[in-house]
Amino acid sequence: MRGVAIVGVGMIPFGRRDEDTLVDMLSYAALNAMDDAGIGDMPIDAAYVGNMGAGLFNHQTAVASSLVDRINLFPAAAESVENGPASGGSALKNGVLAVASGYFDLVLVVAGEKMREVVGPRATDVVATMTHPQAEYIYGATLPSMAGMFARLYMPKYGITAEHLAKVAIKNHSNGLLNPYAHIHSRITLEGILTSPHAIVNNPFVADPIRLYDCCPVSDGAAACLLCPIEMVAQFKKPAIAVAGFGQATDTHTLQEREDPTDLKAVRLAARQAFDMAKLSPGDVDVAELHDAFTILEIAESEHVGFFEKGEGAKALERGQTQIGGSLPINPSGGLKARGHPVGATGVAQAVELTWQLRGEAGQRQVKNAEVGFSVNFGGFGNNVVAFVLRRES
Amino acid sequence: MDTELEALLRPPAMRMAAYPSKVITLATGKQMVVRQASRKDVPTLLDAVRPTLGIPRDYYDIVGARLYAELLGWYRYRVRDHYCLIGQVDGFLVGIVNGRMYTREVGMSYHTLAVERGLRIGAHLFAAKMEHHLEHLGQDEVWITAESPIGFRRWMIEYDLAPKEGAQHELGGASYYVLTRALWDSAKPRLCVGDRPVPRKLLSLAEEGIKIADEDTITEQILGAKRRMLQ
Amino acid sequence: MSHLVGHRCVECGRLMNPRHLRCLDCNGREFEEVPPEGECRLITYSEITSLPWGIDERSRILGVVEFENGLKALGWLRTDKAKMGMRLNAGWGPVRVVGGEEVYGLTLVPAKSSSRTR
Repeated sequence: MRGVAIVGVGMIPFGRRDEDTLVDMLSYAALNAMDDAGIGDMPIDAAYVGNMGAGLFNHQTAVASSLVDRINLFPAAAESVENGPASGGSALKNGVLAVASGYFDLVLVVAGEKMREVVGPRATDVVATMTHPQAEYIYGATLPSMAGMFARLYMPKYGITAEHLAKVAIKNHSNGLLNPYAHIHSRITLEGILTSPHAIVNNPFVADPIRLYDCCPVSDGAAACLLCPIEMVAQFKKPAIAVAGFGQATDTHTLQEREDPTDLKAVRLAARQAFDMAKLSPGDVDVAELHDAFTILEIAESEHVGFFEKGEGAKALERGQTQIGGSLPINPSGGLKARGHPVGATGVAQAVELTWQLRGEAGQRQVKNAEVGFSVNFGGFGNNVVAFVLRRES
Repeated sequence: MDTELEALLRPPAMRMAAYPSKVITLATGKQMVVRQASRKDVPTLLDAVRPTLGIPRDYYDIVGARLYAELLGWYRYRVRDHYCLIGQVDGFLVGIVNGRMYTREVGMSYHTLAVERGLRIGAHLFAAKMEHHLEHLGQDEVWITAESPIGFRRWMIEYDLAPKEGAQHELGGASYYVLTRALWDSAKPRLCVGDRPVPRKLLSLAEEGIKIADEDTITEQILGAKRRMLQ
Repeated sequence: MSHLVGHRCVECGRLMNPRHLRCLDCNGREFEEVPPEGECRLITYSEITSLPWGIDERSRILGVVEFENGLKALGWLRTDKAKMGMRLNAGWGPVRVVGGEEVYGLTLVPAKSSSRTR
């Protein structure tokens, strides 16, 4: 297979974007990526569009075709890729495979979601449709409830406290303040969200032991990457960022059928595949974008991908290792917690952030000398996970 | 002013207990002082509410328009037995709630307007006004209705309220809901917080004057409209 | 009486819930229905607020339980307070309205020695 590089990236600020349609947002992100690459009139061969819920949130289907029309990508091949909250990661994986296969040269991967078109409880319901229809959904299971049941087992087993979860949120909010594309720009304190007696109102339980500030916001937004074979990178102006490795793995749909409900098996397997393909190991990573839809997941994923031993992730957080400036910054963008989580967009937004980091374009949140980046895009509640290793080419 | 005519048009007033100020720590770590506004504060409050009249998002325009009318009516002595509580952070206005004593026993909740969003300010101030009706004004129940889905979720679901028939909330609109003392006692531990007394320095800063941002800033705070240039 | 049913692979004996068309262990395609037996034990749970559209309660407790014969399932705990490892009895009742129709599922109440029901 050919090597694949990211030569252009773009996104739009995440948040509440009442004035934009879904295809507007996808278009802006796509054009930003195309302009970033400086492709001019070069034809794009294919477009992969990551999106989970356009049919339910926005009453729209065949979104990829709509995007092609909106920004004149004719006659490019195009399709939507749906993998729940890992739709972006899957779209990127499909784009990478399309270029690696040798069949397509210039491939655009765009991912987005417009969740705020519906009121909160409807958005909760749409997201809940990824749970098992007969075994989970009918009971009113929500994604926070899956995180709550997971956290109830994981936290005591690996020594994670409510304070650790709060510290993930505080770190990511601080990082978000440095990111002009982040949905949430708000500094929070441990007192305000946990230790004050008033925190019971500021930060109520949503699905205990998961609280409000342990959950990412409901966001609108889009992000895009332009891919090409490594042989073509000289035609573009920005430093090439290679997709050195990727991996994808699945696990049981329901939490009850997991062999060990505290084992994020799909995360472990996807990460290992990505590292094996890249011929790198977790210790080689300089910066990571993990899928912190819930703060517990940042800690759990940091352990499952191999950055830290089980039970050590929270300690690393406490020591400041995962801060910008630490030995392994995690979620310098603010993560899903503060950058936001337009569900389909996230996997590509993670790649955009890593590309900026590896190019040295991340502004105030720049991780120094970042050469290798890693991301995890977590679909369902861990039953379909996509991971990437990105590397700056010299 | 014709004082005889004015006397006819002004409603008689019930004696109403004052709301004892309290201070709440927000998620940002900042302190919000919750205190009762007086009639002399109304012109400033109207300046803060006015920008919302042009914001249809989340029903800010209808809440703002009605709140504006209620505050102006109170100022001009045309609304009976009305109170207004405000939230201030560093002296800046962050939220307003109001209501009135419908009867000695029944409170009528009017509006809740959060100028700064995302910090549960509306939730804190709504709880403060329920506290005011049931604990300071000595009433037995409060009638509540909602104009927005956010309001509905906050009040009706979070307080476990049930819809009532057979009467009409003064704001018109949908069914009204009742917060009884029993429901309040059950909800209060998880929904109403605050420390009293307010430290003197904080209270002085709040009482010195209600600071409000300019119209553009208020609009931006409500809409979250920053950073569009990165489109 | 619960209408919950597990499926045991005829080839290797693996007990599954929900239903799969190939055994998760041996890929076998034949199964026998296995009802839950006896009381069940709470493996994990969460009390959820901010419920999805269509459910107007303020909160609900959902939990994963394991029955004496090894069958596992998610159900709705009809109690105010849950505790890890508590023993529950299974029932079958309306759990939600989906597409205008009432849907039935696993409901769980504390077994006789446990705390009060709601």
